[in-house]
Amino acid sequence: MSGRYLLRRTALILYTLLVVSVLVFGITQVLPADAATMLLGENATPEQLAAIRARLGLNDPVWTQYLRWLGGVASGDFGISLRSGLPVLPQVAEALSRSLLLALLSIGLMLAIALPLGILAAVRRGGLADLGVSLASYVGISLPEFVTATLGILLFADTLGWLPATGYVPLTEDPARSLLHLVLPVATVSLILIAHVSRMVRSELVDALHTDYVRAARLKGLPEGAVLRRHALRNALLPTITIVALDVGYVLGGIIVVEEIFAIPGIGRTLIVAIQNRDLPMIQAGALIMAATYCLMNFAADLLYAALDKRIQYA
Amino acid sequence: MPDIVRRLLRTPQGVIGLALVLLVLTLAILGPLAAPHDPDALSPLRRYRPPGGDFLFGTDQLGRDILSRLLVGARATVLLALLATFLGTMAGAVIGTASAFLGGRVDEAVMRTVDALMAMPSLLLALLIVSVLGRGSENAVLAIAIAFTPGMARITRSVALAVRRQDYVNAAIARGEGSFYIVTREMLPNVVAPIVVEMSIRVAFAIMLFATLSFLGLGAQPPASEWGLMVSEARRFMHLSPWMIVWPAAAIAFVAIGFNLLGDGLRDALNPRT
Amino acid sequence: MTPVLEVSGYTLDYATRQGAMRALEDVSLSVGRGEVVGVVGESGSGKTSLAWAVMRHLPGNAIERAGALRLSGTDLRALPPRELARLRGRRIAMVFQDPSTSLNPTLTLGRQITEVLERHRGLSAGEAEAEAASMFAHVGLQDPRGLMRRYPHEASGGEKQRVVIAIAFACRPDCIIFDEPTTALDVMTARQILELFRTLQAETGVASLYISHDLAIVSGIAARVAVIHRGRIVEQGPTRKVLGAPAEDYTRDLLRAVPRPEERLTHTMPEAGAPLVSARDLTVRYGRASLFSGLLGRRSTEVVGAAEVTLAVQPGEILGIVGESGSGKSTLARALTGLASFDGRLNFAGRSVTGASDMGRDYRRDVQIVFQHPDASLNPRQRVREILSRPLRLYGDAKRRNAEAAVAALLEAVSLPPDFADRFPHQLSGGEKQRVAIARAFAPRPKLVICDEVTSSLDVSVQAAVIRLLARLQRETGAAFLFITHDINLVRQIAHRIAVMHRGRLVETITVEALHARGPAHDYTARLMAAVPRLTIGDSPHVA
Repeated sequence: MSGRYLLRRTALILYTLLVVSVLVFGITQVLPADAATMLLGENATPEQLAAIRARLGLNDPVWTQYLRWLGGVASGDFGISLRSGLPVLPQVAEALSRSLLLALLSIGLMLAIALPLGILAAVRRGGLADLGVSLASYVGISLPEFVTATLGILLFADTLGWLPATGYVPLTEDPARSLLHLVLPVATVSLILIAHVSRMVRSELVDALHTDYVRAARLKGLPEGAVLRRHALRNALLPTITIVALDVGYVLGGIIVVEEIFAIPGIGRTLIVAIQNRDLPMIQAGALIMAATYCLMNFAADLLYAALDKRIQYA
Repeated sequence: MPDIVRRLLRTPQGVIGLALVLLVLTLAILGPLAAPHDPDALSPLRRYRPPGGDFLFGTDQLGRDILSRLLVGARATVLLALLATFLGTMAGAVIGTASAFLGGRVDEAVMRTVDALMAMPSLLLALLIVSVLGRGSENAVLAIAIAFTPGMARITRSVALAVRRQDYVNAAIARGEGSFYIVTREMLPNVVAPIVVEMSIRVAFAIMLFATLSFLGLGAQPPASEWGLMVSEARRFMHLSPWMIVWPAAAIAFVAIGFNLLGDGLRDALNPRT
Repeated sequence: MTPVLEVSGYTLDYATRQGAMRALEDVSLSVGRGEVVGVVGESGSGKTSLAWAVMRHLPGNAIERAGALRLSGTDLRALPPRELARLRGRRIAMVFQDPSTSLNPTLTLGRQITEVLERHRGLSAGEAEAEAASMFAHVGLQDPRGLMRRYPHEASGGEKQRVVIAIAFACRPDCIIFDEPTTALDVMTARQILELFRTLQAETGVASLYISHDLAIVSGIAARVAVIHRGRIVEQGPTRKVLGAPAEDYTRDLLRAVPRPEERLTHTMPEAGAPLVSARDLTVRYGRASLFSGLLGRRSTEVVGAAEVTLAVQPGEILGIVGESGSGKSTLARALTGLASFDGRLNFAGRSVTGASDMGRDYRRDVQIVFQHPDASLNPRQRVREILSRPLRLYGDAKRRNAEAAVAALLEAVSLPPDFADRFPHQLSGGEKQRVAIARAFAPRPKLVICDEVTSSLDVSVQAAVIRLLARLQRETGAAFLFITHDINLVRQIAHRIAVMHRGRLVETITVEALHARGPAHDYTARLMAAVPRLTIGDSPHVA
């Protein structure tokens, strides 16, 4: 792992964020809304609107506005929310922290369940356990989050009354109640993840178990357990890291819906509200943060992969 | 072609997947004709009915027959999602194949940009596009198609690259064939098959995405009976009749499972090793 | 004395969709202590199934119909799985064909041998490491301790195969099965591995079952040989007798197919006068700077495929290009067909050619290429008719009406029935596909045909037929050939002149007569010729 590789990777991430920012900025420019009207309301006089537009620099060409915004971002200033009038960055950062809790719990749950399931299905291939896991994962990947969430609320909140339907309690305030409110959201997000990853693990492990080197290991007379652990799993789990990193992108999308349904004030909910309200600076910041999270996760996954797979040399 | 179907029918995923998808497509196309009631007919006296009697699946909060609404809504959910996937695949395929064939710096620039676009979750991208274009089914289709394009471009490119490396393409280049001939007659026929597999898996995702957009109020608009919209509308009245949610949810799952199975079956059928 | 390995009347079927397919029929052979028994067969003969059967690692759809497999008297078929696991590696081991795939890429080379030592010989970790190091040294590996810490991808093909052999010999098994251990290696490396095998086998007296498709190799190392064809042992006995005076037709045909330099297949002579092709200081470089590395000021990683190659081909001449993998011979072919850009001078039929853009219709018609892998060189979605009529249409030689007749004529020229025109490539065998590829190349009546390892993927008997076909076509059309191969015996049968390449450079050019009369001029050529196994019959077995 050389400095040159890190430099190159960072350049790529910056390029990605640049493209995302151009895309989002371009889209928000096309939005049928006017920032001035948003700020001052419907009853503002034309003179007031003109004054605000001049002050916000809305009459400048698009490129200028973009570069001005980009400059602001580079120095940490993401602008002012059109809805609340407060700086965007602190709001987004706080929302992100709440989403991160949800995301981390989901990924943790996923790893704890998907890995053993996938391994079991691969080792007992063709058997009842395999069939069960396969069926369950087909169902899992075919249910959109809103379906799982709604059914979950229907069953566990409305019918059985075990869990609260919606709402969010900060972890610091009351850990027990906080976690109770997070059960359904985390379960919803994890379901698709578990289904997807367990299928991947199964598929990779089945492939690994058919390789020449696993065959060679068996023919060396090694006990099946050692063959599985030292030879098959070591190689099968590597691609899984990449899959999990890619799934982070999917988690980010799922979080939007889940937060909306369960009324969790995370970054997904913030984005939806911002889109509905045409809060341009908020939309830009939110989209950029999501893209950045995805890029960083992929980067981390690549580093982990490179550290584990000896074949890869990052010159 | 019939060879593919035969191979497909060898695996359980292939058989079940194909059966489900054919069933769903038939219902989607013929649904409105088979609906026992008018999906928009209100019956205030017969609201929240459980399944039974006149209404096989029960009625919703306005007394409308759920089954009829499902059958009519199949068009929106299934066919529109298919259309979105198809459009996205076409766009992605053109970009991906061209990029693979041109190679060099053009290829690299295009792919870096595609990668950048994929850093945004599909749902977010679709949300942004719909908010620009305005709510509605057609715009949702367009949004999903655009959101799918980068992913399909990447997949098409890697398939095209693999095909490009084959000696029969080299043989064509050595013969002095023109680029147009090579791309259309040598490469594309061999690229189509893996793309079709990917497409059928994506359809499931498109259906879910379309339903999600409608759920959020950005896709199909009331009084349309798109399935995601039905779930959204039923949320407030869940405690009065769970059937209003259960049936559309089951329908979405049913269709998505069908396409996922078909996609897996196709992938196995097209794999030369099995 | 009981043989170490005994196979008696063994019959094996595979259950397939089309019913039960017989893989082995009534196979009997035995290997005694200190003996090397060769099993020779082509692809599909069942020789690999035999190996899996003995190791008890048959696929799920295998049905054992009859027969016994015994290891020093122990009935292998009757053993329960746990006993089997204790037996494998300790009393019977296997050396595989491709060391790149039979070693775990994520384990160090040392670990892959110590795990066997710990498992079967009960050594502790420290003892196992010491023993492993000594074994690595014993199989001729430099820096054993260092190599133990490295991963498979950090070792060469030869080093990896030595490791695989060390692993097999680690627990001093009674019997070792060698499944084509040198097929995936370069000629020189293969020679070294064969030497290693002979040394270790003589030293340990392990009963060895050596499976191969290469009669030449087997003739040099095995005391007894069994010839297997379509699941049946056609003939077996002492090597001298089976190969010297074969009783069966199949064995005779197999022997005839082995390339022997004494058997000359080309009887034409090249034309004198101006050369058809002449290359001067031809250099091909691979690798380009990527977009981002350019921005970061990085040098592009360049590899030189061929360096300053100077050669000429006369009209009607067969120039053989010989070398190991990576020698640049295929690179040369790519440069001549415009698939790779080159520096230096290239002249064809008196005109200068600077690159792909210079290669107009006439050049393309006159210079044709046949690739190595027939599976990859024919478009799987085109029928034979379309594949063959394309060059005819492209070069304007045939009108619509004549296309059908022209295709039929082409098929006949390569000894294929006319109804093959309707078939898709996957409906043809490897040899048939290669014939179609050859027909495609000869369709526009080229002046130069480049054959890039065209027989390397084929069975030896199919190879013999294809070579004779090429010789006949050359005689009939008078085309010049650039015949690229790694098999120096083969090239001596067919070429007028031979060019030897090594690491991208042209080392030597010599006529076949001169080679036969005086021997090679360059040291590398001499080493290359010495490394290639020659069929030895009647002498005491040694690698000539």
